[in-house]
Amino acid sequence: MDTSRRDFLAGACSITAGAAVCVASAETAQAATPARRGGESGQRFAMVIDLRKCIGCQACTVACSTENQVPLGDFRTIVSQYEVRDADRPDQPAATYTLPRLCNHCDDPPCVEVCPVQATYQQKDGKVLVDADRCVGCAYCVQACPYDARYINPETQTADKCTFCTHRVEAGLLPACVETCVGGARVFGDLLDPNSTVSGLLRDHAVKVLRPEMGTAPHVFYIGLDDRFAGKVEGQAALWIVRDAQGAEIGEIRS
Amino acid sequence: MTSRRTLLKGAAAVGGLTAFAAGYGHTVAKTAEGLATGSAGTAPRDPRTFNAPKPEFTVDAATGALTPNPDQQVAFTMCQACNTMCGVRVRTDKATDAVLRVAGNPYHPLSADRQIPYATPVRDAYLSLTRHGEAGLAGRSTACGRGNAALSQINNPYRVTTCLKRVGPRGAGEWRSIPYEQLIEEVCEGGDLFGEGPVAGLRALRDLETPLDPANPEYGPVANQVAILNATSDGRDEFIKRFAFNAYGTRNYGHHGSYCGLSMRVGSGAIMNDLNGYPHGKPDFENVEFAIFIGSAPGNAGKPFKRQGRLLAQARSEGKLNYVVVEPVLTNASSMAADDRNRWIPIVPGGDNALAMGMIRWILDNERYDARYLAQPGPKAAEQAGEASFSNATHLVVTQDGHPRKGFFLRGSDIGLPLAEVEGAERWKKGDVFLCIDAADGSLRPFGKPGPAQLFHTGTVETPEGPVAVKTSLQLLKDSAEAHSMADYAAACGLDVSVIEGLAREFTAHGKKAAVDCHGGTMHANGFYTAFSVLMLNLLIGNWNMKGGMVDSIGGFPDYAPGPRYDLAKFPGQVAPKGIFLSRSKFPYQKTSEFKRRKEAGESPYPTKAPWYPLSPPMLTEYLTAAVNGYPYGLKALVSFMANPVYGHAGLRGAVADKLKDPKVLPLFVAIDAFINETNCMADYIVPDSVMYEAWGWTSPWSGTVTRASTARWPVIEPRQVKAADGDRVTMEKFFIDVGLRLGLPGFGDAVIADADGTLHPLKRPEDCYLRAGANVAYAGTPVPDASDDDIALSGVGRIVPELEKALKPEEVRKVAFVFARGGRFQDHAEAYDGEAVMADNRVTAKAGFCIYNEAVATAVNTMTGKRHSGVPAWYPLTLADGTPLRDRFPEAEWPFLVASYKSNMQSSYSIGSPRLRQVHPNNPISVSVADAARLGIASGDAVRLVTPGGSVVATALVRHGIRPGAIAVEHGYGHTELGARRHVIDGVAQPDLGGFSAGVNLNDVGLMDPTREGVSTLGDWVIGSAARQALPARLEKVAAT
Repeated sequence: MDTSRRDFLAGACSITAGAAVCVASAETAQAATPARRGGESGQRFAMVIDLRKCIGCQACTVACSTENQVPLGDFRTIVSQYEVRDADRPDQPAATYTLPRLCNHCDDPPCVEVCPVQATYQQKDGKVLVDADRCVGCAYCVQACPYDARYINPETQTADKCTFCTHRVEAGLLPACVETCVGGARVFGDLLDPNSTVSGLLRDHAVKVLRPEMGTAPHVFYIGLDDRFAGKVEGQAALWIVRDAQGAEIGEIRS
Repeated sequence: MTSRRTLLKGAAAVGGLTAFAAGYGHTVAKTAEGLATGSAGTAPRDPRTFNAPKPEFTVDAATGALTPNPDQQVAFTMCQACNTMCGVRVRTDKATDAVLRVAGNPYHPLSADRQIPYATPVRDAYLSLTRHGEAGLAGRSTACGRGNAALSQINNPYRVTTCLKRVGPRGAGEWRSIPYEQLIEEVCEGGDLFGEGPVAGLRALRDLETPLDPANPEYGPVANQVAILNATSDGRDEFIKRFAFNAYGTRNYGHHGSYCGLSMRVGSGAIMNDLNGYPHGKPDFENVEFAIFIGSAPGNAGKPFKRQGRLLAQARSEGKLNYVVVEPVLTNASSMAADDRNRWIPIVPGGDNALAMGMIRWILDNERYDARYLAQPGPKAAEQAGEASFSNATHLVVTQDGHPRKGFFLRGSDIGLPLAEVEGAERWKKGDVFLCIDAADGSLRPFGKPGPAQLFHTGTVETPEGPVAVKTSLQLLKDSAEAHSMADYAAACGLDVSVIEGLAREFTAHGKKAAVDCHGGTMHANGFYTAFSVLMLNLLIGNWNMKGGMVDSIGGFPDYAPGPRYDLAKFPGQVAPKGIFLSRSKFPYQKTSEFKRRKEAGESPYPTKAPWYPLSPPMLTEYLTAAVNGYPYGLKALVSFMANPVYGHAGLRGAVADKLKDPKVLPLFVAIDAFINETNCMADYIVPDSVMYEAWGWTSPWSGTVTRASTARWPVIEPRQVKAADGDRVTMEKFFIDVGLRLGLPGFGDAVIADADGTLHPLKRPEDCYLRAGANVAYAGTPVPDASDDDIALSGVGRIVPELEKALKPEEVRKVAFVFARGGRFQDHAEAYDGEAVMADNRVTAKAGFCIYNEAVATAVNTMTGKRHSGVPAWYPLTLADGTPLRDRFPEAEWPFLVASYKSNMQSSYSIGSPRLRQVHPNNPISVSVADAARLGIASGDAVRLVTPGGSVVATALVRHGIRPGAIAVEHGYGHTELGARRHVIDGVAQPDLGGFSAGVNLNDVGLMDPTREGVSTLGDWVIGSAARQALPARLEKVAAT
């Protein structure tokens, strides 16, 4: 039933190689960026998201927001949701496409290179983090990130982003978003462990990444990612205009 | 289906994108400041992990040893962010009693991928959620977005924490705090409570002797004029019923069901041959191969939300499932990423009945039904044939015009057979067999004998009174399906004949591993026959109780019901409610005094002032309109618990809201709630209550859960509301206990709960009830083991052990602790199936067979027209109460649209108070199709006025391809006027103005009245009265921007 789908994927820029190749590319990339510091070497954390299993419930979004006490209105992860239809067959009904987004913990992270104070750095285990004690809030990293994954935290006035819940991972727990993923779409683990679930998923599936042309070697991989969603999406943003009873705009939600 | 879908240009990305795209917006302005001074902000708690609290556990990577964070507590209790009532794990900060985060309970079948074995120690349960051995991936147990966000309700700034009495007129929004004891006294004793004249209190109204209306004694006593409203089955409802029915003695207890999904329930009850319990099922998601969801959107909404969503996600990716979702609007039940495995079929709102009848017709015409299943006329034949249920397809129905038994099944006594020798045998009832025609020899024979019977038959049967014309049930269904052509059905639902045929073909191509489900999408003016026809499809393939077919919920362990330790259902001196429900349900009008009077006066007994609903359960949808109309009678007092019909029931605001503000119409209104909602804002008093993780309760899961489960809600944090003078928190339970004690009602006091030996125990505190219910759960079947010290310490149950020791027998304490430590009691998944069927305990059966033909439906009379209903599914248009087609009264020329309501995947009807939800999904622009928008000159973001015959509301338009042209769709959960949308003044202080709570629109505010009914009314299903919030006629106007 899904052969056409497979053909389509095969023709696209999918990453079909397994973990070994990904990590090898990471090793080469590493030379160009500041030295990795902190974290345990011998591990490379990554996330695989099976989009077929995502139901767009935003449990991950709210769990992350709660766990990390993210200021209201900013997000370390969120699920973008799109309504899609076939341009070639406009008579066919539309479908829903949901795309969880977060920091890609790239192996060649553009954010690290541009940080003037080395507040943004990469750990030996691959996690890209921000040291708030060093960060001056210049937002160069925010601009440099091809994935819009960073923001300036209005409370701390420093760059802020997904940490892969490093505080939880170091304690032997899972990131909050993974723990509460209702569809079981988000999988987290160590790519250097050939027996890990993420390693197995990379072996078994033609995974893809967002904006592969940026050469950032993202370490959030997607199963079922359509290339048209891999870059900037030509969609109309959601409408969160709030109006009063007469229809006048009364501005954005305050929380 | 295609693989080359492309992004829809110029139309909606619904959600999220803004956040990641907008992250950059406000950064530049801050940069200079930051560079000059180091960080300009407040330093986070930790420079790397910012303000995240420390983890709740630490697991040693080498040994797997789990060390709890001594400053935090994790405990398994119950969510109440929607009506699913999932088991969750709540993580709290011990020092502040704040809830830090909520996720799922791994023991719980509604939250876990596959629940862990119940015997698992709590320590190992926690370990199963971690990275240790990657156990937490396959073993994850989740909370949904709403469940994650619900913790904000605890400290919601609009929460009511004191006992309130209104100041000024009802609904004015001004209150003063009064002592709890004063509230109890005033509510019980009445008096001139508001300077508006005398008000009868609950004591005076608790009159079980005096008829409330001497001319109509069947209406029952005065006590029936006190109605007690509940919101939902939240595990506390049995306590309210105990008070309402058996202590106070009113007939009128009601809940949200009749404006939620009642059409599905009664339609299902008609199929399942049970119009008392109204059982329904869900597809067995773990094994189904092809599923059709009509007016139901698993993964987007519905109960159980997570279990359906999770199993759907797995089944469409790694499993075998292909499915279609038939709805006017596209939701998250669709997945482009799962591509060819699923498809959305946009249908005309209210067109589902025609689709189902078309499918039934095609299946019968093409003999694609499961003939082997349908031919088994009774339990013996079914067992012999290896079927897990049987139907009445072959049973003969009297069809002879003018015959007194027309519409009834032909019975043994009709042809001279003796009644069976069973206790209570009665002609045409118990012990009087159904008859069928033997498939082998063509003889007329009782249904109970083994062997198949003829499916189709039209003929006559010889009886002592002469020949009688009969047909088989399946013949009647075929006749009904053939009343319209496939082209007619296609036109009525707006789908091509080929689509109807294709669905029917695929549905009948998987043996019993296919299923069709429906739910809230059937809540329109022809809801009953829609659900009856849709769910009939399952019967035609004989999929009930089968792996991959339809499964019910096996339910929970006995809690309140007479259990192995205590009987919480019966008590000394309990009363039984008498009389007729306000909703005129479950009582044939033909037995009323009114009917007799009208007959005796020589007039037609029809139509009645309002419909009578003999097939329906008591319906809150008719209570308040009945009270205003005084038919069958008015109300003297209303006590509501969390109920909010004015928000949830389409058209009710317009019909009754202003009238309920009049104390002459409703003299006393007491509300129990932690929040002021659209209904209880009109109360005289508000009793504060515990919220979610602060409260007690026991629930069992919804349909589609294949193992037995009892979920425990217990206070894992301290409730935030006031205490009474006696030191106990004011709660719903305490209110009913103290009213009961003050009025001297049975059921409350020192010796009212019998244990297994008959010794009586007290019910003076909530714990007296809920902990003994826990003992019943713990001891059901094989009693659970004792909780270990480690279980108690790790699970946080230590904080309630003193209560356990106070209420329970010493030997019960550790067993009940074992249950609370795991958040309830749960059967292991390994027991779910028995071969190709679900386990024996989980099979639904009907002694007289599932109904192709439902005799009760067929012989009930519509009191507005005096006509009988069809006993088999049939196609009807949307219809008003007097039989007028809705479109005759509200023609398409004037009302070109039909509006559909759909459930939000984020907001429930009471979750708007969560800021972490609102930030993700702050409002609900209404969906308009690209074609309609172009015609009307509407662009996304425009202000539009949605006008129905029930009123109008201004909304923001969202132009989509994901909605059928001619339809408009409104997401439920927004458009609040209370719950924070209005600032009430309490003790002279206005509540804060936080904004955002009123965002969006509530379709129910423009729900319809039924113009063919007298007095105030709301539009409902013409057969059973369930509320109509779907397929409402409407027009859309662009509003000039202001």
